[in-house]
Amino acid sequence: MKKFSQLAVPYIAWAVMMLIFPMFLMLLYSFTEHGNSIISFSFTLEHYVKFFSDPDFLLILWRSFGIAVKTTIICLLLGYPLAYFIARSSEKIQNILVLCITIPTWINMLVRTYAWIGLLSDGGPFARLLGLFGFEEVELLYTEFAVLLGMVYNFLPFMILQINTSLCKMDQSLLNASADLGATPAQTFWKVTFPLSLPGVINGITLVFLPAISSFFIPKLLGGGQYFLIGNLIENQFITVGEWNFGSAISMIMAVVMMLLMMVVKKLEVRNQGGKEEK
Amino acid sequence: MKKGNRSFGKILMILAIVFFYLPILYMIIFSFNEGKSLTSFTGFSLRWYQHMLESRDMMSALYTTFSVAILATAISTVVGTIAAIGLSKSKKIVRDVMEQVNNFPIMNPEIVTAIGFMLLFITFKVERGYMTMLLAHIAFCIPYVILSVMPKVRSLDPNLADAAMDLGATPWVALTRVIVPQITPGIFSGALMAFTMSVDDFIISYFVTGGGVKNLSIMVYTMSKRVNPSINAVSTLVVLIITVILVIINVVPLIAARRPKKAEISKRHIAVPAAVAAVVVACLVIVFGMNKGEVSDLPYAGQTLYIYLPGEYMGEEIIPAFEEQTGATVIVENFDSNEQMYIKVTNGESYDIIIPSDYMIMRLMDEGYLQKLDQSLLTCFEDLDEAVLSPAFDPDNEYSVSYFWGTVGIVYDKTKVSEADLEEQGYGIFLNEKYKGDIYLYDSERDSFMMALKDLGYSMNTENEAELQEAYNWLVQCVTTMEPEIVTDEIIDNMAQGRKALGLCYSGDATYIMSENENMGFYMPEEGTNRWYDSMVIPTTAESVELAHEFMNFISSYDMAYANSDYVGYTSPNLAVKEALSSEEEEGSYAGINAYLPRTDHPLDEVFVFNEEVKKLMGNLWSKVKIAASNAN
Repeated sequence: MKKFSQLAVPYIAWAVMMLIFPMFLMLLYSFTEHGNSIISFSFTLEHYVKFFSDPDFLLILWRSFGIAVKTTIICLLLGYPLAYFIARSSEKIQNILVLCITIPTWINMLVRTYAWIGLLSDGGPFARLLGLFGFEEVELLYTEFAVLLGMVYNFLPFMILQINTSLCKMDQSLLNASADLGATPAQTFWKVTFPLSLPGVINGITLVFLPAISSFFIPKLLGGGQYFLIGNLIENQFITVGEWNFGSAISMIMAVVMMLLMMVVKKLEVRNQGGKEEK
Repeated sequence: MKKGNRSFGKILMILAIVFFYLPILYMIIFSFNEGKSLTSFTGFSLRWYQHMLESRDMMSALYTTFSVAILATAISTVVGTIAAIGLSKSKKIVRDVMEQVNNFPIMNPEIVTAIGFMLLFITFKVERGYMTMLLAHIAFCIPYVILSVMPKVRSLDPNLADAAMDLGATPWVALTRVIVPQITPGIFSGALMAFTMSVDDFIISYFVTGGGVKNLSIMVYTMSKRVNPSINAVSTLVVLIITVILVIINVVPLIAARRPKKAEISKRHIAVPAAVAAVVVACLVIVFGMNKGEVSDLPYAGQTLYIYLPGEYMGEEIIPAFEEQTGATVIVENFDSNEQMYIKVTNGESYDIIIPSDYMIMRLMDEGYLQKLDQSLLTCFEDLDEAVLSPAFDPDNEYSVSYFWGTVGIVYDKTKVSEADLEEQGYGIFLNEKYKGDIYLYDSERDSFMMALKDLGYSMNTENEAELQEAYNWLVQCVTTMEPEIVTDEIIDNMAQGRKALGLCYSGDATYIMSENENMGFYMPEEGTNRWYDSMVIPTTAESVELAHEFMNFISSYDMAYANSDYVGYTSPNLAVKEALSSEEEEGSYAGINAYLPRTDHPLDEVFVFNEEVKKLMGNLWSKVKIAASNAN
């Protein structure tokens, strides 16, 4: 068995170079004074102080979390039943449905988001449809609703596919056993199916929450330029303001918060798998 | 399973499919629209497809997207699978640490990863372009492959491989015959994931690319601010390509599966790589089709000219005409703002011509990023308008040749806005609650501060912090009480369609808007405005310097300058062109449009001057204005 462990060595080297080192560089930038040169550094905490001492920045962070949480919850509520439905279909239909859900994700995200602009804009089909029901003058585009819709639209497939994978992986005989032992379908679901699908749920949540919290072109395209989330703030620091150090600091804050959240999620996962980890 | 649940699922499924495909369908339908609108279908036409096929930008973006995606998927799937198997057999501590490291690109906001890669490439002075994009894609795809392969490997019985080896299999055989077949679904979904991520990626590609290499996302992003139905045409093509690939991948194994059972596994394993290989070959054919490799005896054959300019800022026929005349290849890259351009140029990105604005030229000059023009190679100055010759930032035209020029003013809907209000209030109209919810601000710190400072009666080049603070308060008041939309180029099509009553706008964009919609007017407040000049300059890193001069002459010539200004709507520095386009007798496209003729005689009009401290302060304050706007929602 040991032989196989050597297979990981090249990747470890690559990861140090391509994954760890960039983070280290960013960390360095976040603690150094303004200037794009890392040859002469002088350390400072000012960028972090600047972020945490300004309620506006904190509010942006909070709002970004808010919208990411909303997106994730909606995706989970819609995604689980859909994934469940797919997993319970015959294999042939399963393949077709998975394909149906995968195709849109392969079409460029910007392109698909761009398509919503036409659908949602004044005089577009949705506005006209609402007009038929007497809701005239409803602004759809450039609202939080539009941003949320765009996010759910873009990220829901990730949730469905992840949950579906873990549901399909499940041993069918466990369900039969549960039924044979007298469990109602609801009991089987909550005691057997759902816990076993948790890894997929957690992967799904991760794959939805992360792009949702950092997305900056969905708010930009569907929320308008006045809809500002943490991703926009970071982009702004790098692209227009040119404050790489402050931008790096915000990025580090995001990264650390994410890592902490992730650790919590991992803990939950381990607990739910009942010590399977300890092998 | 209860029947009720099942039909509930069915309905939900149908709704989800509708939800997923509606925008795609909408996009496909509108790619055949005759008109430019995204909301009303006026007739069937293939013009946007023709436009797409003629646009080299779009075709090369397609090629970049798919070639990067296929290469990145193939490499990251192999590497990721091997790494996942290796890691799962490693010590727990190694595995746990690597799992965390692996999570960096997955757990980090994409923009963080993007910035990390950018800093990495810059630190090692790797020239950014196709290779850096590919490397970055491989780097962020591998973790996804590992993420989906790892659980499969971990759920394997660890004794399986041992058993195989006990029975005399070599580790290689154990790996390929025992482990890999069992984790194929994981590998497959990992590859699928990698491909999806790569095709979809915008943010990382955007930060690590250079040298004019664009993928589809970057192209859409730079074009999406203006209504451009060719985007729909490209998208439709992408849908087609993707569907074909998916059908190949999904149907081939199904056919293989129908063969006698014994052959099933091996067939299945040949089919998928074969399909991928077929696609790679198809891509290569496209590449070779694109590089026709003509041998030519034109003066600049074989040379390449890199131009860096704002998006949607050059007539479409200019580049092909220039290439035909000189034999050179031109690669165009677009920027969103002068600041973005500055960051790229000062980080060593090489271009032959860039087209920044006045204050930015001043900055680049001061910091030594520009080279002096070779006056003996330039023949264009004699045709230029006196108003653009010898600007304050470059009085002897040592560094720059004018490209476009103009002012900033208020574009307004004559049917909704009273001219008396405009004349009485000037920029103050942006604080007039009569127009609440009906205004656009321009997402540029300089122009927004210009508006506020002018309205307060200050110079837009003020260095006085108290005045800037006052302007900041003015802008905060505007965004918190007026519900403005803060846009960039989106203003052009939206105002052309009369969506809002008022907007701060560049004169050239106003020209286009007014030529599209006769209800629109352009007003330059008496409080003064920003008179700006965008000029062509040659950075010190330029490689084709002579060719760059040739281009400057070419684009300043009457025919080209006419085509350029006519297409974009901005004021030409070529005097004869400006007169022709604005003349009633010659039926110029912009006759009678006041925005096309910049105001040159107003004492309060100013040109921006670069000041690092002010720029930094303004940048920070403007971010805070936008935050305030966002928080006011």
